[in-house]
Amino acid sequence: MNKTFGGVWIFGDYRDYFQNRITLQLIAKGRELAETLNTGTTVVLLGDQIHQYAMEYVAHGADTVIVADHQNLKEYEVEKYTTLLAQWVKSYQPEIFLAGATSFGREFFPRLAKRLRTGLSADCVDLEVDPESFLLVQTTPAFGGELLAEVVTPDRRPQMATVHPGVFRELPHNAESVGHIIYPEVDVFPEPRVKIVRSKPQRTGKVSLEDASVVIAGGKGLGSKEQFELLYELAELLEGEVGATRPAVLSGWAGEDRLLGQTGKSVNAKLVISIGTSGALQYITGIQGAETVIAINRNPDAPVFRIVDLGLVADAATVLPILLETLRRRL
Amino acid sequence: MNIVVFVKQVPDVPNIRIDEQRMTIIREGVESIINPLDCVALQASLELREREGGCITVISMGPPQSEEALREALAAGADQAILLTDSAFAGADTLATSHVLAMAVSKLQPFPDLLLCGMQTIDSDTGHVGPQIAEELDLPQVCGVNEIHMDGHLLVLKRLSEGFLDTIRVPLPALLTVSKDLCPVKNLSLGAVEAAFSQKDIIRWAAHDLGLQPDEVGLKGSATHVRKLRPPADRTGGRIVTGSPQFIVDALIHKLESMSILDEEDGNE
Repeated sequence: MNKTFGGVWIFGDYRDYFQNRITLQLIAKGRELAETLNTGTTVVLLGDQIHQYAMEYVAHGADTVIVADHQNLKEYEVEKYTTLLAQWVKSYQPEIFLAGATSFGREFFPRLAKRLRTGLSADCVDLEVDPESFLLVQTTPAFGGELLAEVVTPDRRPQMATVHPGVFRELPHNAESVGHIIYPEVDVFPEPRVKIVRSKPQRTGKVSLEDASVVIAGGKGLGSKEQFELLYELAELLEGEVGATRPAVLSGWAGEDRLLGQTGKSVNAKLVISIGTSGALQYITGIQGAETVIAINRNPDAPVFRIVDLGLVADAATVLPILLETLRRRL
Repeated sequence: MNIVVFVKQVPDVPNIRIDEQRMTIIREGVESIINPLDCVALQASLELREREGGCITVISMGPPQSEEALREALAAGADQAILLTDSAFAGADTLATSHVLAMAVSKLQPFPDLLLCGMQTIDSDTGHVGPQIAEELDLPQVCGVNEIHMDGHLLVLKRLSEGFLDTIRVPLPALLTVSKDLCPVKNLSLGAVEAAFSQKDIIRWAAHDLGLQPDEVGLKGSATHVRKLRPPADRTGGRIVTGSPQFIVDALIHKLESMSILDEEDGNE
């Protein structure tokens, strides 16, 4: 194994810290990868007065946090972040560099990879180190999620990937954890060309699929908007939230804020009941974080049945009214 | 304002099928289309040209049949179309693709004011190529734009990012990737497409026209390699139940009880 490139790096994305768990998920996965490579896990953290996040990352498993704490770095900004991180990569030479596939991750990581003339895979749903070649195998959906592609970066370093939020599990907070926190000297940056003049929160409604413990997910197999509406009642009875597949959203049965999957949200639920969904991989990506998946579909060969804990072969339109009636009687 | 729009010809992904033995895509019988978000970029360029004047150049890298996508763009109203085609370009990842596209842009006289592309494609869905072209040309970039206005020489943009609506100012020249909310795409009449097929010429550039060496492009110029394609992994141990609707409902209720999501029925109704 070539150890000259250093360890596993993770971009510290702390914006909206209590909702956005991607960095903690990546630290947990990074530790696994680092163990195979016999190296350490490092979070790189850029911002203004962000020391508390460095402590958090250590408590969640980071061996090292490299911090640039500077008033000039207060805003997430593509050009500054790219310049600083490219300098750090050149000095420390990490083997692997991961970021969440958040809006910002997907905007600045391609630029950083290009500046470093290295490879980048997008929105990965799995990562592992190949035990023979010690290469990072980056698994990413292809062709709308019908297939998974295993991508490697054989020669260039670091091996870079953005990762779909919600596919890995964070480690619990451990206040006893010990790690290094280092503060390299930071240059002053020129004013960025892109200026964010205003940033207004746009939370539409209160749909929080990521936090719901029960998610009722509906797809095109429900047949009509009227049938889809029944899911809200089911969700209410089970104290859950309603999610939707892309075809259901495209049919106008549910808003974009309920979209589950690769291009939508990922759940962390105890239970997902997936109704009238065939099970395209890009959708499965969004529900695979659930502890238990139950699916109702009239087609016994529907791909969704390959990932369920309980598969019910039935027509949703027939079953839903009986189910609702039974639950109403009991609750 | 001179605008470049990058377009990619892609298979109509919702209609593709998988050859499960060979783990490849069955392309036969699947229509090729312009990547839908690139159509949004093209539509936006037409509206900007109407307000600001200037010239629209569409550029596509791909096999010779990508010419169809450029013909469609000409029919929609683009002024000129450039096809970057060379067998050496095949197998390119986003690093190598963005290099070829950036080299083509640097060959344009005068250098364009605005570069537009879709924020992602439906076939590979990386969203990398736009930012990587911007990096190579040292241009500022904004991704996922859903509103474009001009204020003097500045672009004023809006985009959604992680639940925030950002208002952004950026000077020209700049590269923007666009979201589907930027503008609705107008359908072309078949007549217009046919007219475009007979009229304007398409400019073709190969690697040597762009001063590119074979090892900078295509598979050789790529940093990433696809090691294999595979189907999604299956969970195991799942129980599949068939039967009457009531039986199905009972099976579901039983499962909910075993997970303590429902209390067990204890006769206190």
